Amino acid sequence: MFPELNAILNTSPDNFKQGELILVSDRRADASFLVHHFLSFYLKAGCKVCFLGLAQSFSHYSAVSQRLGVSLTQAKEKGQLIFLEVLNESLDVLLQKTSNTKSQALDFLRDPAVGLRGLYDFVRASVSDSGVGGEDDGGVGTVGRWGPPVLLVDDLTVLLSLGVSVGSVLDFSHYCFVTVCSQLKGNMVTLVRCEGEEDEDEDGDEEGSERLLKGLTHQCCLTLHVQGLPTGFCRDIHGQVEVCWRKTQKDKPSNQRKLFQYKVHDKGASFFARGTSSAVL
Amino acid sequence: MLLELIQGTEGGGLIIIQDSIHYSGRTLLMSFIKAALKRDEVVHLLAFELHEEELKHELGHSCLQRLKFHNAFHDPLGWNENPPFTVHQFITSELDSLLTSNQHSKPVTLVIDSFSFILRHLSPSAVCKTLQQLKKGGAVKTTLGLLHSDMHHRNMMGSICHLATSVLTVAPGHQCHEAVAKTIRRAKSGKISQAVERFSISDDMTVKVQSKPVPVGSGQGEAGDAEVDPTANLTFNLRLSDQERQAKEKLALPFVFSKEKKSALLRPVPGSGRILYEPDANDDYDQEDPDDDLDI
Repeated sequence: MFPELNAILNTSPDNFKQGELILVSDRRADASFLVHHFLSFYLKAGCKVCFLGLAQSFSHYSAVSQRLGVSLTQAKEKGQLIFLEVLNESLDVLLQKTSNTKSQALDFLRDPAVGLRGLYDFVRASVSDSGVGGEDDGGVGTVGRWGPPVLLVDDLTVLLSLGVSVGSVLDFSHYCFVTVCSQLKGNMVTLVRCEGEEDEDEDGDEEGSERLLKGLTHQCCLTLHVQGLPTGFCRDIHGQVEVCWRKTQKDKPSNQRKLFQYKVHDKGASFFARGTSSAVL
Repeated sequence: MLLELIQGTEGGGLIIIQDSIHYSGRTLLMSFIKAALKRDEVVHLLAFELHEEELKHELGHSCLQRLKFHNAFHDPLGWNENPPFTVHQFITSELDSLLTSNQHSKPVTLVIDSFSFILRHLSPSAVCKTLQQLKKGGAVKTTLGLLHSDMHHRNMMGSICHLATSVLTVAPGHQCHEAVAKTIRRAKSGKISQAVERFSISDDMTVKVQSKPVPVGSGQGEAGDAEVDPTANLTFNLRLSDQERQAKEKLALPFVFSKEKKSALLRPVPGSGRILYEPDANDDYDQEDPDDDLDI
């Protein structure tokens, strides 16, 4: 996890708000470093994490998390982490080799029109206290051992490119929010990736990812939007992050926004106010 | 106009609050609910996007007790067992039984959060039909709903808003806690009135309008004062006296093809050259004037 980002968001593994939906998005940039941050953050906080890995393999996340000081393999063995490696499982599903809970979760791969109810059932089973999610579950002994559940999705745009409709993804997100955030007081972090320019007046033929982004923005509490620098490429500053708090404690829409620039290193990322990069000062 | 709508002096109808990702209209919706509860009306809330905990934060416990809350948040599509209320129950027959379950003589306000959720799952024509039947049925005096304008096609929004007696579009204001509301109200006589107002919502959900409503289309908004005269305060004279203005208007511009010029060109001037043409053997001399059909 990135200590500077924790300071910006005013959280720490010992003290974070529960029941939140955090939306991470990017436009022509790569926000996946934030997903690694949240994964290591919640594992260090002792939460039970359900990770839907649609974009990369388990070994990729494991390698990056190792550099951030967290072992995903150990977490999986202890039962703290339930990892759905969609890339690996998808081949079995498409070839109809085995039929287990994970393949039922991915039945949308064969027929996208079916929707994501199967995937939601998998998530619900993984995060609930009875915890019968898949082979890696620790069993009865792990009930109540971990903190509030957390769902991480990397990333939702892959579902759109697999043929699932925007409405189905929004419904899936709604149900996950109800179960994870509202009922179990856990948190949810999703990544949505957009291409193309943001066009305020676009109508009707909007790309699915734009509509998905807007729909999730209405639902969420906190958004982190990653973009390249408006002035172009820079070796020392990799882009900018706009942090927007949509709801304050009293649930009034304050829409407080802050803009930071960031640089990704080998073992983390640093965040700084605009124009205060160490390369510039 | 915004305060009149909140106070309910307009006599009900369908009120739609249009918001966007830049400013959420939910707090304004809560203000409407609180005002209706203060007037001792029966308020039913169909909450698809709002859960009870959040509502408790916004409205307070006492208001929540008096509100008829229908939980459509937990299972709107019936994926789990025993859903309290699903989106497919948004039809006249189900709504009638829901609204008339407690017999009251007080006026009923139906609040929907949000129309966007319903429109994602039901066709706009079905939703419009239900709303129209609700209006005509008499069970509901006021229907109030939230609609996310950036989630739908303009045509779909237009068809829902066409049914509405009032449409409020909210957007963030220039100041931190302020917002701007553009209200379009359709009176029973058919007259349409519009207003743009800046407002803020306090902690107890009361709405304060910051400035007087400016009717849209009156020409001068808040920004423009009297038009500045560009010919004033100059070191040279740009103004025309009456004589000068008359002389200017009389002047014929050189390249304008006026009537006098045309007749002058067409009249043969004596002393001008004549063209003598003797056709050759190979020429095809046609006596007809090729420009005969021109009508200058």
